[in-house]
Amino acid sequence: MEEKPGQDRIPDTPLFDRKRSLGGYRINKMAMGLSRPENREAFKQDESAYLDRFGLTPEEKEAVMTRNWREMVRLGGNLFFILKISAVDPVRITEIGAHQAGMEHDDFLRNRLGKKV
Amino acid sequence: MAKLIGGLGTSHVPSIGAAIDKGLRDTPDWKPFFDGYIPGQDWVKEHKPDVAVVIFNDHGNSFFLDKVPTFAVGCAEEYRPVDEGWGPRAIPSFKGAVDFSWHFIDTLIENRFDPMICQEIEVDHGIQVPMELFWGRPAEWPVQVVPIFVNVIQYPIPLPSRCYEMGRVLRQAIESYPTDERFVVLGTGGLSHQLQGARAGFVNPEADRAFLNDIATDPDKLAGMSREQYVEMFGSEGAELMMWLVMRGAMDRDVVVRHKHYFVPASMTGAGMIVMENAATASPAVAA
Repeated sequence: MEEKPGQDRIPDTPLFDRKRSLGGYRINKMAMGLSRPENREAFKQDESAYLDRFGLTPEEKEAVMTRNWREMVRLGGNLFFILKISAVDPVRITEIGAHQAGMEHDDFLRNRLGKKV
Repeated sequence: MAKLIGGLGTSHVPSIGAAIDKGLRDTPDWKPFFDGYIPGQDWVKEHKPDVAVVIFNDHGNSFFLDKVPTFAVGCAEEYRPVDEGWGPRAIPSFKGAVDFSWHFIDTLIENRFDPMICQEIEVDHGIQVPMELFWGRPAEWPVQVVPIFVNVIQYPIPLPSRCYEMGRVLRQAIESYPTDERFVVLGTGGLSHQLQGARAGFVNPEADRAFLNDIATDPDKLAGMSREQYVEMFGSEGAELMMWLVMRGAMDRDVVVRHKHYFVPASMTGAGMIVMENAATASPAVAA
């Protein structure tokens, strides 16, 4: 699956290829750390210091600390890892979806998932 | 020799497990979904398999991106639920069918499949949820398991046709295994869903329903599709549906569909279930 530079072959569908995996390694490793209770505690106590432990760039840190899911994914964050942030700071997965789709939550549920809300 | 008594397919959405944990089974959002699995649970009760081979993917829980096996096979005595971020779920550990796992690994290698071999590994919702959907919440699981992990996250992911071929080797391993144990194979994942990018929330009920037909009647078509076609049709995460082909590849060309269920959306996913038996050995009352 070759990728044209700067463009996904299937629109709005970022595949987790080599480029994204390399770019997102720090964010994903940080998020993977949250599968340990002591790291969840560290994240809660001092998020900035926890992120520094994994060498996040200022841009990556900003994306995580503002819970900018779209930006985290753009920077190579993979949802299966960054979802662990929602275990520490609860947010519904449909809200994460709506954020990436650029839609209000109710519109997202209605128009994408066909729910009656 | 051991016998393959059925092929099961099911979604493994983590919210399903969370819904059970939170006691939401009978709420309006979830009841129709769970009720659709009752015939599948009855089938399992009636047919009493001894071993469940479960094909699923790890979701960044047991493997990180530092080491990504394309195919991995568990051969552990026990598989404990892994901490996915919320603490390990309070469900019983799974007992491994250790001898069969090694026999399967031997058979794979002899057939030019080269899996990672896992003697100690925890398991995530990818296997937990399918087991709960078919066996409920017993104090102890009444079957031993053989986990097969497929990488469907880090590209390059394997070809759908490769999954199908692996299923044929699995069948060979079952039928050359010198016990009288009864095996079921569970293909898990899907159906359509996308969690990432501006197309997040994409579901494709029409394609899902067609898949539930084709998996029984035209698996060669599904095995011949490209990875890109899976992503396009079922969403970036829905492409994991190709894992059902391992299960289907273990079965005969002609199968009887005993039960089928579709529900959308389970969380953000088109959710489906199927129970199939080989036509040649299906009970005549149902094969009519």
